[in-house]
Amino acid sequence: MIHQSDEGPGPATPGDAIKIRARGINVFYGAKQALFDVSLDVPEKSVTALIGPSGCGKSTFLRCINRMNDTIAGTRVEGRVELDGEDVNDRSIDPVVLRARVGMVFQKPNPFPKTIYENVAYGPRIHGIATTKPELDAIVEKSLKRAGLWSEVADRLQQPGTGLSGGQQQRLVIARAIAVSPEVILMDEPCSALDPIATARIEELIDELRNQYCIVIVTHSMAQAARVSQKTAFFHMGKLVEAGATGDIFTNPRDGRTQDYITGRFG
Amino acid sequence: MLTWVALLALALFSGATFFAARRKALASVGGRPVGLHSLPGYYGGYVAIWVAIPAALVLLAAAGFGGRLEAGLLRATPAPSVQALDAQQRDVFFDDAVSLSEGRQASESVYEGALKSALDSAVARARHLKSQITYGALASALALACAGAGFAFPRIRPDFRARNRVEGWIAGLFILCSVTAVLTTVGIVGSLIWESWRFFQSVSPIDFLFGMDWDPQIAMRADQYASSGAFGAVPLFIGTFLIMIIAMLVAAPVGLFSAIYLSEYASPLARAVVKPLLEILAGVPTVVYGFFAALTVGPLFREFFNGIGALLIGGGLDGLGQYLSQVQNQMALVAGAVMGVMLIPFVSSLSDDIINAVPQSLRDGSLAMGATRSETVKKVVLPAALPGIMAALLLAVSRAVGETMIVTMAAGLQAKATINPLDTVTTVTVQIVTLLTGDQEFDSPKTLAAFGLGLTLFAVTLTLNIIALRIVQKYREQYD
Amino acid sequence: MTETSLSAAQTLRKTVEARLKVRHAQETRFRAYGLVAIFIALSFLAVLLGRIVTQGYSTFVEYSLTVPVYIDPARVDPADISGANFDLMIADQVLARLGIKDDDFGTQSSKVMDILSNDLGFQLLEKVKASPALIGKTVTVTGPVRADGALYYKGEIKRSTPEDERKLDNAQLGWLDRMKATGMVSSGFNSGFLTRSDSTEPEQAGVWGAIVGSTMMLLVTALLAVPIGVLAATYLEEFAARNRWTDIIEVNINNLAAVPSIVYGLLGLAVFINWLHVPRSSPLLGGLVLALMALPTVIIATRSALKAVPPSIREAALGVGASKTQTVFHHVLPLAMPGVMTGAILSMAHALGETAPLLMIGMVSFVPGVPEGFTGAATVLPVQVFIWENASERAFHERTAGAIMVLLVFMIVMNLAAILLRRRFERRW
Repeated sequence: MIHQSDEGPGPATPGDAIKIRARGINVFYGAKQALFDVSLDVPEKSVTALIGPSGCGKSTFLRCINRMNDTIAGTRVEGRVELDGEDVNDRSIDPVVLRARVGMVFQKPNPFPKTIYENVAYGPRIHGIATTKPELDAIVEKSLKRAGLWSEVADRLQQPGTGLSGGQQQRLVIARAIAVSPEVILMDEPCSALDPIATARIEELIDELRNQYCIVIVTHSMAQAARVSQKTAFFHMGKLVEAGATGDIFTNPRDGRTQDYITGRFG
Repeated sequence: MLTWVALLALALFSGATFFAARRKALASVGGRPVGLHSLPGYYGGYVAIWVAIPAALVLLAAAGFGGRLEAGLLRATPAPSVQALDAQQRDVFFDDAVSLSEGRQASESVYEGALKSALDSAVARARHLKSQITYGALASALALACAGAGFAFPRIRPDFRARNRVEGWIAGLFILCSVTAVLTTVGIVGSLIWESWRFFQSVSPIDFLFGMDWDPQIAMRADQYASSGAFGAVPLFIGTFLIMIIAMLVAAPVGLFSAIYLSEYASPLARAVVKPLLEILAGVPTVVYGFFAALTVGPLFREFFNGIGALLIGGGLDGLGQYLSQVQNQMALVAGAVMGVMLIPFVSSLSDDIINAVPQSLRDGSLAMGATRSETVKKVVLPAALPGIMAALLLAVSRAVGETMIVTMAAGLQAKATINPLDTVTTVTVQIVTLLTGDQEFDSPKTLAAFGLGLTLFAVTLTLNIIALRIVQKYREQYD
Repeated sequence: MTETSLSAAQTLRKTVEARLKVRHAQETRFRAYGLVAIFIALSFLAVLLGRIVTQGYSTFVEYSLTVPVYIDPARVDPADISGANFDLMIADQVLARLGIKDDDFGTQSSKVMDILSNDLGFQLLEKVKASPALIGKTVTVTGPVRADGALYYKGEIKRSTPEDERKLDNAQLGWLDRMKATGMVSSGFNSGFLTRSDSTEPEQAGVWGAIVGSTMMLLVTALLAVPIGVLAATYLEEFAARNRWTDIIEVNINNLAAVPSIVYGLLGLAVFINWLHVPRSSPLLGGLVLALMALPTVIIATRSALKAVPPSIREAALGVGASKTQTVFHHVLPLAMPGVMTGAILSMAHALGETAPLLMIGMVSFVPGVPEGFTGAATVLPVQVFIWENASERAFHERTAGAIMVLLVFMIVMNLAAILLRRRFERRW
């Protein structure tokens, strides 16, 4: 049923280089299987959207990429996820290094109960990327600017990050993620807790970041997927039903279930 | 005995009126409960309550206070020969009269002549009073029960709102029960303040709170209590503080690290095994810890320090060696260390709750940044949980300060203002126990001093608790 | 573009990897701290319990002497049986069996009396009193060896200790050895420890009086604290409007739960003894004090059990026309009952182990028997532990640990009951 051959990512998409190559992923939470033999290619420097009804396994797939599933007791992952050709589940890959290379933004904004500055400086500090105060200042400023938050918080960097509005918090969290200059950014429904205006800002931001990062975004909103992504993958009941260029998926889906979902017949 | 029989009879009577009232209610609507305002049982309950409650209160009051009423009446009319006795002998005389009237053993006092006949008549009068009180109570209970029935029974009509009445009684009972907790506090505060006030009549609060000398004299006779003991409680405060600090030095790190391990690292299986084991440690009665401290840890520590002392004697640290070789069982270190062990499960379970209240999303955020578990704990979880953990530690401090048995059994009695953990110190709670165990003249400053100490203890622990509970509440609101 | 970003990625990797070793070492160390902490806590538990069992198990071993005694009519006056010295008769009998001649001063027989419990003499006295016809006949009595003798059998008193530093001299130790070798003394389970009450003689002291006292006291506590606590919690949780008064009551209850137990003792002394004249040292008084102490815990446990009942149950009951009271009594409370009972049992277990407030209200007295009713003098298990721990005689230390074992068994049974109750009726909404 999966209309995707093993040899390629399907129809040509922007940014031809493949950053992440997943093959035959099965995920089990205890005895329950959450993902069934999922294979997907994620292109470099573009936005790939994972869509599907809730509980379809799209977040589970996302968490395979930076091995966040390891943090849940009783989870088992089978299959290969390659990042630049290296299997991330390989013994030689340290999850610490992997997660420094693959940043993640969560559904609910989760700034640490620290100052705005400390939130952004968290990654560079723990990884030892910046050693001097000026270096750190520069990284914080650059990240906040890139996340489009600098103008709003420049004069209150020492105030708690939890005091910001929901949309600002989510941009702060994105700034925190890009402060370590990751190669990939995973976003797990980053706008589901936000109002439409804040959502629009984040979508703009994603569009800007696309030039530098490989972005994988899980979203509930098909409109959002259509707006921000170049490639879309549709998940259903733990299986990857269909993946391809966003335009094709939305205008010309090959699978009946995709058709039903995007026309709003279930979901 | 008679009271119990009467109460039983009352219960039976009240039960009978329950069924009678229920039947009457049903009969009033021709056996179809639909016509009644309330379920038939409520009509029964309404009448039964009016029959039982007032009469039961009278019976219980007679059982509880009848003896005092009897004694009071007996004393109201003393014979002239009895009036001649001094206050203490008179007390003994009347106690004997009551004892003899109840067929119990009297004291060993010898009564002769006029006193002997006065005793005999007092005994007779006590018997008479007793039967008067008992039968009076029984009669009034009977009258009240009948009056209750007479009042409630005629009110049964189909439109009578029996359920609301019964629920009114139940609500009253509810409120009475919830007020018990408040009354307990009032009782604690009231009795502590009252007795302390009496204590501060003879010892100034300034001397008590800031005095450096603690040496309560033993008042052997009533007229001796003017003899001044020293009631400066500072050495006790220092001793309590010292032992508390030692206990916290054991409990805080061990408890906190256990909690961190259990909540952040342990597998569900390990948690399921370790947590109940820690709960056992928490459930062990403090008297057992006291036994362990006094007979196992104390001798062990003494031997250890004596051994080190023996090695040092004659060397460059001869003075220290001499000192160590004379260390006693009852050093502050022993009581403090064992108290620390007692507090480990307390600290760990409170901290565990607090750490678990830190949202998982913060941990995920940190781990997804590539932080290790320990970095996540140290840099994100602990700072977030800090207020809660501080509160948990404050509660543990409050427990340590108020703990009694371990220190009573393993710490000393000597009031010494020292912070040397190898020295013998005494604590507030130890002194309260020492001052109040055994038979003492209740009015002497010595026994009243215990209430002064109790008031101080209560004030300190209450303050700690209020602060801690406030912080915890704020903390929980933050993450709810 | 691709070139520069690749190299940036490589720089990141290099930087992160450079510190990886140090960070993982920190991680391992931190994890080890946690493990060590748990290990420390659990080893304390093991040492504590292990030490009590090793100190206390020997309490349950009794060495008893069985000896036939000829009731010499010359030494027992039928008119004054209590005047006869039965202890001496037994001692003489033992000496005769060991084949030792006593001197005129009775030095040997008094030394024998030192190693035999006077319980033997009492038993003989009771028997002869019950049937004076026994005078002139031979009666067999069985009773414990005196505590010091038992300590020798158990290896607590050693021959290697210099003679003048131990309570028994070499001759007595020799007799004890021969008595055991000839089968006069046999060891067995010390049922007396569980069926007798406190005594000044360690070998005759038991915990029965304390067990009965504890039971009576807990009965009073449970009968007061559980109904009042449950009703108060139900009121606060289900009926009371949230206002300043209920807030005060709530804060008050939370703070009461953390008041040191000794303060409750002071309350009992000032209010119950001096003001209400409740008899000192009685189970009634102890029960009252502990009930006040347990009340906040019962209330808090009940409230959390009530909170766990989902609001849909209440709405359903109210929806079919039940009154508030009916809803609570017919639906909410029965559903919360397992949680309530678990909380109640746990707070009773806690009350069972409580000692400090009882010292304030005169429960530290020597009570050689079961309490005479709820207003009679009584002792309870933890206080018995405290009293024996204070005793100077070494044999009492063993009994202290034995009493602790009995106390812990009771607490374990109560806790198991609570756990089983929770397991059996646990409900997931």
